[in-house]
Amino acid sequence: MKKKSVLKKLSLLTACALTLGALSGCSKDTAATNNSQPENASQEAPADDSQAPQEETPSAGQDPIVITAWHDNDEAMMNALADVVNQALSEENITLRFEKKSDVAGQIRLYGTDAANGPDLYLFAHDALGGFAEMGILEPVENLIDPTKEADLLPMTLEAATYKDVQYLMPVYYETLLFMYNKDLWEGELPSTTEGLYDYMTAHTDTAAGTYALVNQHSTSYNVAPFINGFGGYIIDKDANPGLDTQEMKDAITYNSKFAALQADGDYNTVTTLFNEGKAAAIIGGPWLISGINDAGINLGIKSLSDFTLPNGNVMMPYSGVQCLGVLKVAAETKKDAITKVLEVLTQPEAGIMLAQNFNCAPANSKAYEDAQVAANEMILAMEKTAQNAVPMPNIPEMGVMWGPAESLLAAVNKSGEDVDSAASKYQQEALSAIADMQ
Amino acid sequence: MENTKKKYLPWLYCLPSFLLIGAIVLFPILYTGYISFTNMNLYHWQDYTFIGIDNYVRALGKVDSGFLSALATTLLWTLVNMVLDVAIAYVLAVGLNTDGLRAKRIYKTLLVFPWAMPAYVSILVWRVGMFNTEFGLLNKIVTSLGFDKVDFLSRNVPAFISCMVLNLWMSLPYMIVMIDGGLQSIDKSMYESAVLDGANPWQKSIYITVPSLKKIMAPIVIMTTFTMFKQFDILYLLTMQKGAVSGSTLQTIITYAHQNAFVSNNYGLSSAVSMVIFVIIILFSLWTNTAAVPERKGK
Repeated sequence: MKKKSVLKKLSLLTACALTLGALSGCSKDTAATNNSQPENASQEAPADDSQAPQEETPSAGQDPIVITAWHDNDEAMMNALADVVNQALSEENITLRFEKKSDVAGQIRLYGTDAANGPDLYLFAHDALGGFAEMGILEPVENLIDPTKEADLLPMTLEAATYKDVQYLMPVYYETLLFMYNKDLWEGELPSTTEGLYDYMTAHTDTAAGTYALVNQHSTSYNVAPFINGFGGYIIDKDANPGLDTQEMKDAITYNSKFAALQADGDYNTVTTLFNEGKAAAIIGGPWLISGINDAGINLGIKSLSDFTLPNGNVMMPYSGVQCLGVLKVAAETKKDAITKVLEVLTQPEAGIMLAQNFNCAPANSKAYEDAQVAANEMILAMEKTAQNAVPMPNIPEMGVMWGPAESLLAAVNKSGEDVDSAASKYQQEALSAIADMQ
Repeated sequence: MENTKKKYLPWLYCLPSFLLIGAIVLFPILYTGYISFTNMNLYHWQDYTFIGIDNYVRALGKVDSGFLSALATTLLWTLVNMVLDVAIAYVLAVGLNTDGLRAKRIYKTLLVFPWAMPAYVSILVWRVGMFNTEFGLLNKIVTSLGFDKVDFLSRNVPAFISCMVLNLWMSLPYMIVMIDGGLQSIDKSMYESAVLDGANPWQKSIYITVPSLKKIMAPIVIMTTFTMFKQFDILYLLTMQKGAVSGSTLQTIITYAHQNAFVSNNYGLSSAVSMVIFVIIILFSLWTNTAAVPERKGK
């Protein structure tokens, strides 16, 4: 009987402990909001991720300040970028620390106003800007940094970082799609027109045998954008009007569909594997494919998509995605000076040169291209050339709901064989409905 | 005093569980309900206000031909999958319990494997390893027989069948294990009596096995029906994942709601849609429970 009673008490105690343990996850990270300096604070950034950054105090020049930035890029690249900044700011006692997160855009939406658990900065493609700006969670970069210090940044990147005439973001580097080919497989000269490319594909593709001349994610709007923009079409205009059923868009989709028929199923995994395994002679892709291509030992050649002329006389015009740093308003309120110094370092060419030399990124800073090693990088030169015609991805919030209908439209035509007119009309309505649902 | 203690002590023991359930289950539902009455969206992220039932009017306005088509697909999906799931699992479980079958435990362990794998991994493995036009096993077989490659996921009917096959692959182990457990509990003497009475295997199955399993199977079938009804990940990851849209337009009510409300970042509207779906599922639950009760009482 006594044993039973002890067991009851023990079970009650265990249940209480379990409950408290579970609920303790709901507590706030009080350390992050504590302005006092921890006793063991050192001059270096804390190695433990759970340790919260110190906030700026009146004696900011003396105290170590850690700026946390979330990203979803290659960690080695982000650490190298942090090293450049930290080296430049070592005497200021300011440390930039990158933390990798999956679904950065979603995380920023959740933690954008959370000073205790959210980051100070984030590094992400510029197309998410409009949504964050409308949420009111971003501090405009133009409030933090003197515009003259951005004089060397490429105009295209500044355009991408601006929403409703306010520059919210600091461009770091940009990406565009490129024509990448296997020099060991490609026969003869590269064509200069898309028709020439199509003729080559017709002659060198055997879908039954699984060998292809060129593969592309033919039903992904980002990858079809070179055709869409080249034909004068648009997924959404600056006034948030979707353009899926415009004649230019339908012409572009129709034109792309004949290429799609010779490009396997167009899924990312399929096309990259085909290229890396030597079953496709060329691929339309971005610099993010490079590590896999190098690992596969492909003898890679690169050409700008701007070097291909469409039947209407225009060149192919891909989207450009500019990777930018955004500053959260809650961070700017407490760490303004430190963040400004970080941004100032990033306006200098050194960060861009490092990213170009080590990671094949096209810097946003035009001065970085004067570096001899950068100037000799075939991929970066191709991206720089493409950037002259590239169209920055729309950064209005409505673009966020356009990827789905646009991709469904392309898949309907390329994969399900639907009529372009009826599919365009259907997905235009879906896009309008999705935009209306945002309000 | 002792009676009072006896009366309240069980509640005290249950209190931690109630707190946990309240925090983990009840609070999100109540909070979603609260958000559904506000205009919380990208444009009113911090300054959202109470707007009454506007979101519900809009959510119910989505009960259009697209929603009805998705509902019909959901019901068909649930029905076909449940029938096949139970039937195939029953046959396999009975087969695994055949007297004299060697290495039973190995078969049972192997059969549980698909259930133990994370769903996300299973689905992606099937998408690339089975259905892919270039590398998929099915297309390797199709082309080796001299036929053209088949894109199994680009049109609605083959996509439905493909999703169903994968769903069965993932859900059968659970059903087999449950039926297997039920079979172990049937008194063997009933079969021996049946044999003495001259019953054949079919009659033993219909008159002994199936009736004996009914009690055990009722809650399992109800639970699995819900899992099938609210299926999302298989259909989404096989046919409509961003960057890998397959071309089919299959929609269940959950994928339809996701596409029509959740991608918009309009949290007020998507909360209202969630609450409507929640009510539909609760009603469905009440209906299935009501349908199951007389049978249970009858037994």
